[in-house]
Amino acid sequence: MEGVVFWLILTLVKILVILAIVLGIGAYLTLLERKVAAHIQRRPGPMVVGWHGLLQPLADGLKLITKEDLFPRYGNRFLYNLALVMALVPAALVFAVVPFGPEFELFDVKVKPMLTDVNVGLLLVFAFGSMAVFAIALAGWASNSKYALIGSMRKAGIVVSYEVVITFAVMGPIILAGTLSTYEIVQKQIQQELWYVWLQPLAFVVYMFAMLAETGRVPFDVQEAEAELVTGFTVEYGGMKFGLFPLVEWYIEVLSLSAIAVVLFLGGWSPINIPFLGFVDPLFFLGPFSPFLWFVLKVSLLFLFVLWLHWTLPRYRIDQITETAWKVMLPITLVNIVLTAVFAPLVWE
Amino acid sequence: MIQWLVFLLFSSLAVVSALGVVLLSNPIYVILALLSVLVSVAGIFFVAGAELVGALQLIIYAVAVTVFYVFVLTAVPWEKALKKDSHYRVEGLLSFPLLLLLYAEMLLVFLVGVSVSPKGQFRELLKEFGNTEVVGGILFSKYFLAFELVSLVLLIGMIGAVIIGRKEAQTYDDRAS
Repeated sequence: MEGVVFWLILTLVKILVILAIVLGIGAYLTLLERKVAAHIQRRPGPMVVGWHGLLQPLADGLKLITKEDLFPRYGNRFLYNLALVMALVPAALVFAVVPFGPEFELFDVKVKPMLTDVNVGLLLVFAFGSMAVFAIALAGWASNSKYALIGSMRKAGIVVSYEVVITFAVMGPIILAGTLSTYEIVQKQIQQELWYVWLQPLAFVVYMFAMLAETGRVPFDVQEAEAELVTGFTVEYGGMKFGLFPLVEWYIEVLSLSAIAVVLFLGGWSPINIPFLGFVDPLFFLGPFSPFLWFVLKVSLLFLFVLWLHWTLPRYRIDQITETAWKVMLPITLVNIVLTAVFAPLVWE
Repeated sequence: MIQWLVFLLFSSLAVVSALGVVLLSNPIYVILALLSVLVSVAGIFFVAGAELVGALQLIIYAVAVTVFYVFVLTAVPWEKALKKDSHYRVEGLLSFPLLLLLYAEMLLVFLVGVSVSPKGQFRELLKEFGNTEVVGGILFSKYFLAFELVSLVLLIGMIGAVIIGRKEAQTYDDRAS
């Protein structure tokens, strides 16, 4: 009985820590994005609220929360609000299977810094990732507005196409690792002394494309498309309800997919890798903290890469986006799977 | 103990949502109730320790299948969603005996299945290899023929859908020129 109670408390603490980190960082990433965007365009960005705009996210939040709560006439209030929940919950649930670092001992108890090490973790990631479609479709339908509906259909079409592509793209690393558990995949990469990106460059590029498309980042941001579609499916949402959708899509989903990319292709918490030879750790002086720092570093690098693309590239048309998914990306991933299956036995040894 | 409670939670949720699928009149609510049924069944699988089946239930049924219902229904205008007079009452009455037959068959299959199912034979294997490996091993040895036949059926279905959905010589570029 004591074991059960202890396990419950440990899980609760983990949930709280992960949620606090994810949502807190999510809010502050808005400031980071504005700063990076501003410097790319040679502007200073937010400077007024706090030192170099450090308190800007709080001010934004306050403004959004105190705004009037508008609701479209003849809309469906229940579904309108349900769409918010269905957007936030699956996106946050993905972090349940993200391993933040290696197992460590705390007061004689072994703790894995992840919520649950299911042996089908990756399948769950993609199941939860695809559930974003429901939120988008519901938001579009419940708003009772043509613009919102068109925007939601566009976005849902993209998400459905790229969900297929992303699932095939991650097959390569899965074949190499021989497991679906996220923790085990990182362990395998450390054992084989090989980041899978060295053997799966195609899959990695396709994964990054699909990640941009699913999170609605440039160059695939037609659901935003300010000029043509008046910001797509969120057009009838106001105040904090409006703020929640970009928060989920642009920050929480990008973070979770970057973390999964790091786990699959960049060796999770392992330091810099020289293929088949070993690892070089310039941060060795941090001792047990170095794996966690490596994980955070890799995720933030990927996030900055996404920001960099967002503020430099133009936008694709909707038909170009879906055509690329089905006619280019999917065949590439299929070829990649066959090639991987051919040389995988060499890696296993 | 905890397992029982969680099982009770998921199974009662599944039953209540299944009632919702049958009784609700707004089609969007019906889809959501269906989604809730599928997710809670996935929950039951997880409680039973069948993680692979649970995850597949989520990814195939709760996402891939239900999404297409949502796609169709988002094209339904708001006023039409509340219509209640489109039920085929006579046809429903006529098909009732067939429905009973179907239920009887399901019950039979269930009872037969319980009597021939392996009673704990795989438990040791599961502990040693984990869910995915055991399912894959059995699928690609004992049930290999059935597995290949099912994939063939799916292929035929896909080709059929492409043929039906395709409109030759009616592309956007042709009309524009």
